[in-house]
Amino acid sequence: MALTHMHASGMGGIRTTGDLVARMQLSKKMRLNEAKKYVAEKLKVSVDDLADEVAMKELRQDLDIGDVYAGMGEQARGIEAKFRIAELLDIDINCVQRFLRKTKWQ
Amino acid sequence: MVVTRMGDGSFITMTRDEVLRDVEEGVADAVKRGKIEPLSSDEIEHIVDICCRPQKFVSVEKGNELVLTYDSGTLKVTRLGIPIGMPQILQLYERVFGADSLELAYVHYSFKPIKSIVPEEQYAVAETSLVTTAPLLYGAMPNLPLYTKPDGPCENAAELLPMGKIEEAKRAQEEAAEYAIKDMVFVSSGVYEAGADGIDFDTTAAAGDAEFYATLKATEILREKYPDMAIEIGMAGEFVLGFHGSIEYDGVRLAGLYPHKQVGLAEKAGASVFGAVVNTNSSRTFPWNLGRAVTFCKACREAANIPVHANVGMGVGAVPLVMTPPIDCVSRASTAMAEVGKMDGL
Amino acid sequence: MDKQEFLDKVAQSVIDSDEELAEQLAKQALEEGMDPLEVINKGYVVGIKQVGDMFECGELFLPELIQSAEAVKKATEILNEAIAGGEEKKAKGKVLIATVEGDIHDIGKAIVVSLLVANGFDVVDMGRDVPVADIIAKAEEFGAQVIGTSALLTTTMVRQQELEKALVEKGLKGKFKTVVGGAPVTVRWAEKIGADAYAENAGEGVNKIMQLLEG
Repeated sequence: MALTHMHASGMGGIRTTGDLVARMQLSKKMRLNEAKKYVAEKLKVSVDDLADEVAMKELRQDLDIGDVYAGMGEQARGIEAKFRIAELLDIDINCVQRFLRKTKWQ
Repeated sequence: MVVTRMGDGSFITMTRDEVLRDVEEGVADAVKRGKIEPLSSDEIEHIVDICCRPQKFVSVEKGNELVLTYDSGTLKVTRLGIPIGMPQILQLYERVFGADSLELAYVHYSFKPIKSIVPEEQYAVAETSLVTTAPLLYGAMPNLPLYTKPDGPCENAAELLPMGKIEEAKRAQEEAAEYAIKDMVFVSSGVYEAGADGIDFDTTAAAGDAEFYATLKATEILREKYPDMAIEIGMAGEFVLGFHGSIEYDGVRLAGLYPHKQVGLAEKAGASVFGAVVNTNSSRTFPWNLGRAVTFCKACREAANIPVHANVGMGVGAVPLVMTPPIDCVSRASTAMAEVGKMDGL
Repeated sequence: MDKQEFLDKVAQSVIDSDEELAEQLAKQALEEGMDPLEVINKGYVVGIKQVGDMFECGELFLPELIQSAEAVKKATEILNEAIAGGEEKKAKGKVLIATVEGDIHDIGKAIVVSLLVANGFDVVDMGRDVPVADIIAKAEEFGAQVIGTSALLTTTMVRQQELEKALVEKGLKGKFKTVVGGAPVTVRWAEKIGADAYAENAGEGVNKIMQLLEG
């Protein structure tokens, strides 16, 4: 069923920018259009581009924020990508904050 | 003729006029029960059009995509008997299923049994957070009946009420709610401190108004404790069952609230996302259920100041009540919720 | 007050869960020489049906429903005494209710039991997690006319099918009518397993059981 929804109405997750829009909803309680607009502005693309797999794959690679083909080349993956996403979207990501706490001598 | 289904999944054929009539009746039922505004004639036509398209699979127009969150995420794979770990399941969700967010969930899926295995769940959360990119929630159900006899310490209201012991039943539910709040806060704190982006209180109020109260109180406590935590409250049904009958949150009686009223309290408690639920009536047609579900969800979205994600799965959001929800109905419900309900997500 | 106004007042006393007024009106009806059966059917039954509808829409809640049921019970006891020279009117039917084995959900079942009692049925509630053999044994002992089972999980609804098979094997299929309900249960499932009826919710459960007993 997850696949049916993804094809019928989903943004596409890390194939596109669905994870970024979801982050703005979950961390800042933004409504859909507000979250899309915020992400588009941060990525410097139009809202219409956000669910385009072709353009967003290239952009994610350029910005090095992780995509589905993490094994090809030197792309950031997992927590590495989230460090960059936190900076790009200007938000705190909980596991990133935890990582920072755990890797610094206090 | 239009080929569609009943709410139990059986195929039926209808004329376009019959589809229109059923959508209108579904809308009218939601309006009557929820005391909400009906859909416009254009919106009804749009739903009819979605129902009547001959394709097996229907999707939104480009630009109308929305965000997907999931309940019981990892369970959907483990319950199929596929022996892989939770981090790997979520990597599949992210890289194969195109998931916008991820949800980690233990097989018992209730806060009470999870309480004793929080350290193990923290491992899973911490490891998943290292290898995935999308937002990661931890999900479980409040499941108030686990705190009542014979599964828990409190008296069982389901036994007391038919005996007419109303006050005793109310006290028992209030007592159970306090236990549930404690466990919800404990488990949620544990997984958040391990690195999860937040928590999903799933199937909230399945046991009625006292369970909804417990969830709202737990949300309130967590919001104060962790101002940045993502908290999703997903409901169990379209109205809050008055099993207690008079319990209140913030001066509002919880029993009988429909989604457009539930969401205000979820907001007040501090939820980040609200999951609206409309039950599928398995004896009515898919068009009837779709008209009804979209009307309720749209009213909820309009009343909200936080994102509203409609539940669209087995037996909810117009999807037929079958274990293998048919793609023709799921894709149509998904499309209608995005384009007519204009939901923030599913 | 004309007769219809009086009957409306009777129904309203049930809707308001006003036990005292419901009893008082029953006594008044007898004092004024009204037909007790008519007062039951056009007053109290109308009221409790309305209560069931309101419950289904979330306009009235379980504690009120139970209080309304209690009001009807007490008032109709008074009227029943006047019917057939003090002989108590028979219950509408004998119904055994249980949540199937392996399933611990009992809230929906509690609602069904409350509504059945409110509507004048003689009900045995076996509780939850009840094996098929125990259901059949109790149905025999109680002399049930209808067996109603609830299953809230896709993994436990198969027990309803086991009950049907067991009833056929024991030659009891015609003796007890069966009705199935619960979140994942549908009319399609009821037909597949050979149950006599399916109920979408508690209110429909009462109606279906009435139909089964009439039919």
